[in-house]
Formats: sequence, structure tokens, C-alpha cells
Amino acid sequence: MKITSFFKDKLFNLILYLIAYGILLSMLFVFHVSSSLILAFTIVYAFLVLLIFLYEYYRRKYFYKQLFNNLKNLDEKYLISEMIREPNFLDGKILCQVLYETNKSMKENVNDYEFKLNDFKEYIETWIHEVKLPLATLTLKNHNSKNKSSIKEIKKIDNYVEQVLYYARSENSEKDYLIKEISLKKVIHKLALENKDAFLENNVTLEVDITDIKVLTDAKWLEFIINQIISNSLKYYRKDVDSFVKITAFKNEDKTILSIYDNGIGISKTDLPQVFNKSFTGNNGRIINSSTGMGLYIAKKMCLKLGHEITIESKVGEYTKVNIIFYNNDYFAVLK
Amino acid sequence: MQKILIIEDDINVREELKELLINSNYEVVALADFKNSLEQILNINPDLVLLDINIPYLNGEELLKNLRKESNIPVIMVTSKNNEIDEVLSMSYGADDYITKPYNPTILLLRIGAILKRMDNIPDSIKYKDLLIYPRQALIKKQDKEIILTKNEMIIFSYLLTNKNEIVSRDELMTELWNNDEYINDNALTVNISRLRDKLEELGYDDMIETRKGQGYILL
Repeated sequence: MKITSFFKDKLFNLILYLIAYGILLSMLFVFHVSSSLILAFTIVYAFLVLLIFLYEYYRRKYFYKQLFNNLKNLDEKYLISEMIREPNFLDGKILCQVLYETNKSMKENVNDYEFKLNDFKEYIETWIHEVKLPLATLTLKNHNSKNKSSIKEIKKIDNYVEQVLYYARSENSEKDYLIKEISLKKVIHKLALENKDAFLENNVTLEVDITDIKVLTDAKWLEFIINQIISNSLKYYRKDVDSFVKITAFKNEDKTILSIYDNGIGISKTDLPQVFNKSFTGNNGRIINSSTGMGLYIAKKMCLKLGHEITIESKVGEYTKVNIIFYNNDYFAVLK
Repeated sequence: MQKILIIEDDINVREELKELLINSNYEVVALADFKNSLEQILNINPDLVLLDINIPYLNGEELLKNLRKESNIPVIMVTSKNNEIDEVLSMSYGADDYITKPYNPTILLLRIGAILKRMDNIPDSIKYKDLLIYPRQALIKKQDKEIILTKNEMIIFSYLLTNKNEIVSRDELMTELWNNDEYINDNALTVNISRLRDKLEELGYDDMIETRKGQGYILL
């Protein structure tokens, strides 16, 4: 709050004081009061007026300066009403009251939505568990009847269902994962077996070069993340070369890097920065219709939640390489 | 024949599972009524239990907890809940393995096989005809002659051996190899089998592994 803008705001009061002064002055002249008394009166009057204005100005200035400072430093600006000390002037008090009321109403509103969202999320989770039952029946039925034609389609459905599940989980819950020491080799082994048919059918060779490296993560989440990357490799492979997917891992003092490299069709320079965006399908998505643009988006989100980093590099017609970086966490080292 | 007990309340899944396991040469019993399931398990005395978590009366985790007080029968938990917490919980109650629906049937069979194999020890050497096979050293001996197999060849030969006189599909062999971290492709499998045949030929068994067109291989 600048002093000039304060006086501009109080211009009317100032004019009133001046008018009052003028009237008093003319009255003093009419009664022929001595000029030294008029001077003394003027000084006292001016001093008092100035005092009133300065007092009003400074207590406001102090309050608003603190308010804006707090506002600037807050990440969640809506918490400002918790950070105000109630001022001793009326308009400030009113401001506090208004802030408090709007904040309360907003909290109620947000709570309401949170409740609805949780409700919906719970429903989605139960629905997914329910839908997995008929999927299991179908898988077994197909397997028993030696009719493998539908298995691929069932697997696709399962993958999409899984995507919904993890999307719901990555959106809004903190308690759905469990961090512990996981062997990367075991995770890759499991995924390799699950994707075996797709590898063999598309004639894509899988090379795995991972020694016994352990990382701190949630196994189920990590499986999902890597599965999204592998299924992309299996979707966007090149038919004119010996296609391969190479999975390697390497560990140094502060981090472990898991790389999934394929010599597939690659991603163009313009598309590359956007592959982690929601619903982005890009050029490759137009070539292959079954892209939803959700896989990598969810994968990135889950990585962020778990505290891992995910990066991608690629060259059209040559390769795509996705890195997942696990940082070593001192906290867990202490726990051990 | 090893006996497997299925505890699963969904009739469709139960029947299909039963068929899958019977086709894989297991004796299969399934609970139809889940009252007193603990007593029933103990009466049936199976070699392995496939236990669904969501069953009526007592849920799978509780049942497992109670079962562990009485017996050490291997248990594989089967569930549609795909999260780490449930898995850790089941394992801490004493499950031997945990599989989520919809499971890949071959993987399910592999897990069952692995657990049952863990129960009875693998011998150092296996005798077949006049051959002595040492799976751990990847060696086959015949009197004073001996041949060394590669890891892949040994996996293939062992698998054919455990299923001798039965047709083994290429897919089964492939699954077995991948399960042992050998992620080879179709051509490599063909190459490995022909090398294995060459090596067996050196020992005088020309047609030990026969090809059955469209079905797979058989060890005679």
C-alpha cells in the first residue's frame, strides 16, 4: 500500500477536514482572535489531522504487507485465512470474516467432491475385481478348448482394464502402494513370461541383461509401468529388420537406471516431448489404431508418485529408449 | 498322481480350472460348500490348495491363517485384487504363492509345478534307459562316454524327460525355457532341438526325440 494511493483514497476526508478548518478559521477571523492564537490553533489542528491519517495508514500498511507476504509464500493460496492475525480496524475485520466464510464454504464444497470421487474410485475398483472374474473364466475356457484365437483379445481387454485400475489409483490415493525392496530381474522375468506369446508371434527377440539389482518400489506398480513400455515396443516394431527389445539395468551410488531399448519405428522429434501427455497419440497413433495415449501418461504419473523418473529418447526409424531412474533413498537405508 | 484342491466360489472359473488341471494330469477336488472349509481341507489332505480370497463364510486369508495352525500344505492364493498389500498379507499368513486373475493358464501350471517340485527333492542324477542324466552339471553319461549340454538343451531335455512318452508342444517347451530366463525365439528353439538330437546321436540314440507334426515332440 503506497502512501499516495492511501491519500487518494482518503481524499474526501481530507477535503472535509480542510473545509472544517476553513469554517473554523473564518469564525476565528470574525471574532477577531489574535493572529498568534490562530497560528497555534492551525499547528495543533494540522498536527492532529496528520496524526489521524498516519495512524490509519500505518496500521493498514502493516496488516496488508503481512497479508501479501504470506500470500506470496504460500503454495496453497486458499489457506491464507489461516495465516491472518485479526486486525484492530473494522474493514480488516470484515475482510477476515469474509475470507473465513468463503473458505469454509469452499472446504465443504471440496469435501463433497472428494467424497464423490472416492466413492467413484471405490466403485471402479470393485467393478474391476468383478470384471476380472469373467475374464479369468474366458481365459481358462479358451485355453481348455485349445482355441487360442480369442486369447489375444482377452489379454487386450485385461490390459485396458488394468490401465483403468492404475489410472484410478494414481489419481487420488496415497495408501495403495507399498514400497519395499524388489528384484528387477524378477519383475522382468514375470513380464517376459506374460508377454511371451506376443514376443514370439511378432518375432521380436527379447534380450535381458540384468544382474541381481534391487530397487525400492512397489512391485505391482512397477510391473504395470514396464508393461506399458514393453507393450509399446511390441506394438511399434519394424517388420523389415530383426526386431529386438533389450532390457538392461545399471546401478551406481545414488541411482539405478533401468533401460528398455527397442529398434522399432521410433518417435518423431515433434511428438517426443508430448508422449507423456494425456491422450496424446501422435503420428504413430495414427499408423496403429489401437493407441489410447493413456499408457505412458499413467506410467509417468505413477513414476512421479513413487519418486522415480522416467525419460525417453528416440530417433525415427531407428530406436526408442525409455529409462526409469530409481534414486537410492537414505531414509530406507536408515530403516534397514 | 498329485491331488490339488480348488477353493473357488465362482462355478464357471471352478469348472474351467478343474478341466485345466485334469488335462495336466492332476487329480482335482473342488469344494462346493464353504462351511467348515478347514475341516474339509484337512479331510481331503491334498498336495496343494488353490485358494480364492473372496469366498463365503470365512475369507481366504482367515482360512489360510487357521490352516497354517494345523498343516503345512502348500497354498497358492488366487485373487482378482491386484495390489501389493494383499500379496504381502497373504504371504505373511503363509501362502506359498500369489496369483492374480485373470491368470495366464500356462503360468499358473508352472507355478503349481514349481511348488510341487520344491516339495519332493530333485535327485542328483536321473536314470533313463542306459543313460545317466545329471541336470545340475548338464551332463549325460553312457558307460564311459559323456556329452555336455548347453543350458538351453538341458532345460529342453529335462522337460521332455519329466514328460516322457507324452507329446510336449513347442509352446510348453518355450514356456519352460522362458521360465528359466532363456528368452529365445522360435528359430533358436528349432536349432537347440536339432543340436540336442545330434548330441544324443553321438550316444547312439538316433530317434530319441520324435517330431509329431502339428503337435510337438515326444521323448521315446
